[in-house]
Amino acid sequence: MTLLEVELTRPVTVASLDCSCGLSRNLACLGIHLGDRVSVVRRAPFNGPILVHVENSGVDIAVGRGMASRILVEGD
Amino acid sequence: MKATDNLRPADPAAVLDTAIPHIALVGQPNCGKSTIFNSLAGFKANTGNFAGTSVEFTESVAMVGGRRVRLTDLPGTYSLVPSDEAEGVTRHWLDSGAADAVILVLDASVLSRSLELALELSETEIPFVVALNMMDDAGRKGISIDAQELSRRLGVPVVPTVATRGQGVVQVVMEALVAASRRIRAHKPAYDRDVDAAVESVRSLMPAGLDAARQRYLAVRVLEGDPVVEAELARFPGDALERARAVRRRLAADHGWSEDSVFSSHRHAIAVNLFEAVSRVVRNPGRPLGERVDAVLMNPVLGPLAALAAIAGFFALSFFAGGALSGLVMGPFEALGDSVRAAIPGVAGAVVRGLVDGLGGGMAIVLPYLLPLLFVMALLEDIGYLPRAAFLVDGLLHRIGLHGKSAIPLIMGYGCNVPAIMGARALESRRDRLLTVLITPFIPCSARTVVILALVGAVFGVRWVIALYILNILVASGVGRLLSSMVPGESVGLLMDIPPYRVPPVRAVAAKVWFRTKSFLLSAWPALIAATILMALLEHWGIQDQANRLLAPFTAGLLGLPEAVGVTLIFGIFRKELTLLMLFSALGTTDVASVMSATQIMTFVVFVIFYVPCVATIITQVRETGWKWTGVSVLLNTIVATVLAGLIRIAGSFMA
Repeated sequence: MTLLEVELTRPVTVASLDCSCGLSRNLACLGIHLGDRVSVVRRAPFNGPILVHVENSGVDIAVGRGMASRILVEGD
Repeated sequence: MKATDNLRPADPAAVLDTAIPHIALVGQPNCGKSTIFNSLAGFKANTGNFAGTSVEFTESVAMVGGRRVRLTDLPGTYSLVPSDEAEGVTRHWLDSGAADAVILVLDASVLSRSLELALELSETEIPFVVALNMMDDAGRKGISIDAQELSRRLGVPVVPTVATRGQGVVQVVMEALVAASRRIRAHKPAYDRDVDAAVESVRSLMPAGLDAARQRYLAVRVLEGDPVVEAELARFPGDALERARAVRRRLAADHGWSEDSVFSSHRHAIAVNLFEAVSRVVRNPGRPLGERVDAVLMNPVLGPLAALAAIAGFFALSFFAGGALSGLVMGPFEALGDSVRAAIPGVAGAVVRGLVDGLGGGMAIVLPYLLPLLFVMALLEDIGYLPRAAFLVDGLLHRIGLHGKSAIPLIMGYGCNVPAIMGARALESRRDRLLTVLITPFIPCSARTVVILALVGAVFGVRWVIALYILNILVASGVGRLLSSMVPGESVGLLMDIPPYRVPPVRAVAAKVWFRTKSFLLSAWPALIAATILMALLEHWGIQDQANRLLAPFTAGLLGLPEAVGVTLIFGIFRKELTLLMLFSALGTTDVASVMSATQIMTFVVFVIFYVPCVATIITQVRETGWKWTGVSVLLNTIVATVLAGLIRIAGSFMA
């Protein structure tokens, strides 16, 4: 399951990234890492980004749909 | 006594004096570096509650606790491996070795993320101390942090600060001065055995002349794939770079890690452990107020509606408030102008008349409309609404080939196009930056807003003002779409920190509004006065009429405007604030409706909104994109302005 498909507010764990580009570094800079517990708090209108809440650090990150579809997550 | 009382900005010439200790502020975006800087040096660096407020560094010499200190405020960076232009500024500056010590500003409310930069800085040889900022925010989130324990584990002094209230800022500078003189070094992060072994083997590739700390630093950076250090290694004798890369590949392959994330993931693990060791959750904060506000402001339906309502309300307010203020001040100045006209003949009379027009114009026309706009912009920036607006409109902006982050500079463009164009540096891809810079001049800045409010508002009413802004957004979108189809490449996806809402202290907002008002008073107003005097002289000598006749085929022929407006449009290129004043003095009245028809006024305003940006904007564009793209931009604006103004003229002729 990708982060894009997770229903709102459901906590999930970041399992892997489906790409070898600089995505993992960029995500890590903002505070999203493999193994982090995250949830999608909000979706923007017009096919816009999603708002991801990272549980242990408490940060909120807006993630575009393209990137979100490459973040694979696992539910409990 | 408040903490900031003993601080006074000092002599700017001292910036060049190398005997003064040099302290740089480094930190992740939006951790409060500029706020600390401003509380020490007076309001000089722009602040805002969003990542990428500072894209350039600001330098000043300040008196701190009786000592002169040279301070540099660097753009925020998540990591020392830069990912955008602004971050590159910071890295390059740090590498230059100019700083005697660094104050690393950490956002205590998101400490685990901030600590990763602290660990990166520990690898360098730069002495640093930590300002543990936003302690009040951390408290509100129910987190308590043991600064002493953090200091013990990092090996550097840690000072808790609340920069918005000036708490702790003097102390942290004092600590930085001590760190500089004692060359305090942080503990090196302890990685796992394999990583340490890899660092050692790369270190052995370095020239023997370098000191051990420098060797280790270069080894860690090259293992991270840092392009700057790779370039340095390529210059070393032998095949140091190739062998270092081989070590990196092996390290990643042996553990199944991706090459670029070996260090970032280790650092993350160390940061999380460190965070857990120094902090504890003292209470559950419950559902923060900000979340409830976001439920409305970031709601897909309510959010855009709230934004539109706020914008409409703002224009109505600034129109009525500005109009009322303007009316109060305008009367006396007009009376004065009339009596001057009657009393002093000849060249002297023209000069005095121009002076009075310029003085009165600044006071009565520009300031009343400018102030409310500056105030609202300051509030929007500091509260943290801009990144949320970017989140909401990202989807729409992608449809016209732009990026959600462009929304922040574009919204700032309503204040002034110059910082907006510079703000585009916070965008990661060159294409997105270019498109944002090209579209920004289509956004009516505060100076053009003055023209819109004072002409369209006064003659047609607020509803037409709002209609014009909607038209403007549609046109800018159309242009954006056109441009993005011409500039190759695709917009990268959005990835952006959404900071919590922060209520700015009244003093901070006031300082910012004053900072920007001062820039109007000191640079725009004198230009305004000089131009009105020049205009009066041109009129006196009859040169103005010749220039107007020269422009007549365009102004009168093509757009159907009175010939007299020709010169005003030329002056408007220097400063858009001039347009309105020049129009008044060209027409000889402030009651424009008595000499121009409704169609003419609308045609004029539409042309003014869209045509050639002001000189300051053009210069900034050249600096950011070069002459070629600036030429494209100026041409594009002029064509769009002419076509639209022509269409208004035609539409008006049908309605009349």
